[in-house]
Amino acid sequence: MSRLALILLLLLALTLPTQAQRLISSLSNDSVQITSSFDGERLTFFGTIAPAAGAEQRFVEGPFQVVVVVLGPAQDRVARRKTNNFGIWLNTEQVAFRRFPSYFHVLSSRRLLEIADINLLNQNFILPEAYAMAPNPAGFMRTLTFGRELIRIMSEEGLFGVQENGVQFLSDTFYSAQLTLPSSAPPGPYIAQTYVFKDGQIIARKSEGFSVRKIGFERFLAQSAAQSPLLYGLACVVLALVTGWLGGVIFRR
Amino acid sequence: MQVYLPIAELSVNLFFLVGIGGAVGFLSGLFGVGGGFLLTPLLIFSGVPTAVAVASVTGQVVAASTSGALSHYRRGGIDLHLALYLVLSGILGAFGGVAAFALLRDAGQLDLVIAVGFLVLLGFVGIMMLQESVRALLKRRQGIVVRERMPHQHTWMHGLPWRVRFKKSRLYISVLPVLVIGLFIGFVGSLLGIGGGFIMVPALVYLLRVPGNVVIGTSLAQVVAMMAATTVLHAVQSQSVDMLLAFCLMVGGVAGAQFGAAAGKHLRGEQLRGLLALLVLAVAIRFGLSLVLTPSDVYSMAVTSIAR
Repeated sequence: MSRLALILLLLLALTLPTQAQRLISSLSNDSVQITSSFDGERLTFFGTIAPAAGAEQRFVEGPFQVVVVVLGPAQDRVARRKTNNFGIWLNTEQVAFRRFPSYFHVLSSRRLLEIADINLLNQNFILPEAYAMAPNPAGFMRTLTFGRELIRIMSEEGLFGVQENGVQFLSDTFYSAQLTLPSSAPPGPYIAQTYVFKDGQIIARKSEGFSVRKIGFERFLAQSAAQSPLLYGLACVVLALVTGWLGGVIFRR
Repeated sequence: MQVYLPIAELSVNLFFLVGIGGAVGFLSGLFGVGGGFLLTPLLIFSGVPTAVAVASVTGQVVAASTSGALSHYRRGGIDLHLALYLVLSGILGAFGGVAAFALLRDAGQLDLVIAVGFLVLLGFVGIMMLQESVRALLKRRQGIVVRERMPHQHTWMHGLPWRVRFKKSRLYISVLPVLVIGLFIGFVGSLLGIGGGFIMVPALVYLLRVPGNVVIGTSLAQVVAMMAATTVLHAVQSQSVDMLLAFCLMVGGVAGAQFGAAAGKHLRGEQLRGLLALLVLAVAIRFGLSLVLTPSDVYSMAVTSIAR
C-alpha cells in the first residue's frame, strides 16, 4: 500500500517540474577498514540540493532539512528477558527479530519530530523505534516491548543512535554530516540513505553504499574461522602446543 | 594498546589480556592447575561473550599444560596407557559437551548453565579441598602423621568387569571407572572451558589410587590431548575460538606459570591447597551471586545468525 502511495507521490512529483530538486551527495570513504588497532573511524557525508536536471529553474528554495540514515548489515537478533524464578534469575522470555540492522544511526539537521510527521518517519524507518513495530510473529505489544529494549541495549553499545544536530548546513543548500563508526561496528555492506525534507515532505532521497571490512591478518583469521574451521582449529592447537613448548624451553633453568 | 579480536569482534587492551593471562598463569604455576577455571570466568566478567571466552580458553589451556606435560614425559611421569583410555573417553565426552554447548547457546541458556556448572563444580571441589587442607594443617600441628590408604587395598571398584593392567601405575583395575572419569571430564571441560585438572587429579588419586609420581603427568597429558581435540571441535561446531585472544592469554599464561612455579616452592603443600580452595570457592560464590542478585539489566540480546 505504502509503495503504491510512493509511486503516486513520485508521479505527482514528476508532473510538477517547478518543484523538482535533486540531491547531489557523496561520502568520504567507500570502505572502512578494521585493522588490529581499529578503534573507530570517522565518516563524512556531504551534498548539495540543486534543481533537477532539465528543470527550468536556476536555484532551489528552502528551507531544507536533511536526514542521513546509516544502516549496517542485517542480522537475526534475539532479545531476552530474565525473570526471577524461585530466587534464581533465568532467561525465560525471548523475541526473535529477523533481519534487524546491526548498526543504525540517524543524523539530522533538526529535531526529527520537527522535520516531519512521526508516521512518515516511521514508514521510512527513520526512527529507530520503527524496527520495534515491524511485523513479528511474537505479536505487536511483545515485539514493541522487546524491540525497544533491544534498541536501548544496542544504543548503549553505540550501535544505534540518533544525533539531531548531526547534519550541518554550510550554506542554504550545502550540508555535511559526520559520523564516527565505533570499533564494535559489524563488518559488512552499509547503506547511507539521505533524505531531503521540505515542509514536512520528502522531496529527494539518495542512497550510497560503503563497506566495513576486516583487512589484513584480522580478516584472514575471521575468514578462515568461518570458511575452513577444521584447519583453523588445528592451527589454533598447533599454535598452543608451540607456545607452550617454547615457554618451557625459554624459562627452563 | 588496543587489539581488535576478530572473532569476539571487539577491541580489548592488549596489556589487559596478557596481564590476566599472566596473573592466572602465575596462580596456575603456583598451584599446579591449568587455570581455565579462573580464566574463563575472568573473561566472562570482563565482557567477552561467554561462547568466545569458553572456546578460546580451551586453546589457552592446551598451551598452559604443554610445557608441564613435556617435562613430566621426560621424567617418565606419564602413564601413557592410562592416559590413552582417559583421552579417548574424554574426546567422546567433549563431543557431547560441544554439542550441548551449541544447543544451549541457541536456546539462550548457555550463560545460566555455565554459571550453575561453575557454582556446583567449584563449590563442591572448593569445600572438599578446604576441608582436607584444614584437617591436614590441624593434624600437622598436633604432630600426627597421616597414613594414606595403601594403593593395593581393595575397594568396590575392583569388582567391576573388563580389568586392564596399567603397568606404569602398577594397577590392575576395571576400565569402566577410567572411562567414566574421562567421559565426565571431557563433557564438563568442553562445556565450561576448563581443563579439569582439579577434578582429574583427585579422581585419579582417590578413586583409581594412581601412585603420586604419575598422577600429575598423566592428568596433564590428558588435559593437553583432550583440550586440543575440544579446541578443534569448538572451532568446527560454533566457530567461536578467537585465535588472537587465545594467543594473548597463552603468552601471558606461559610466562606467568614459570614465576608461579618458582614462588610455589616457598609454600607448603597444605597451605597451597588451602589457598587454592579459597580461590576456587571465591569464584564459585561470584557465580552464585550472579544467579541470585537482581541483574543490572534484565534484558539481554544475542545475534542468532548473520544474514549474508
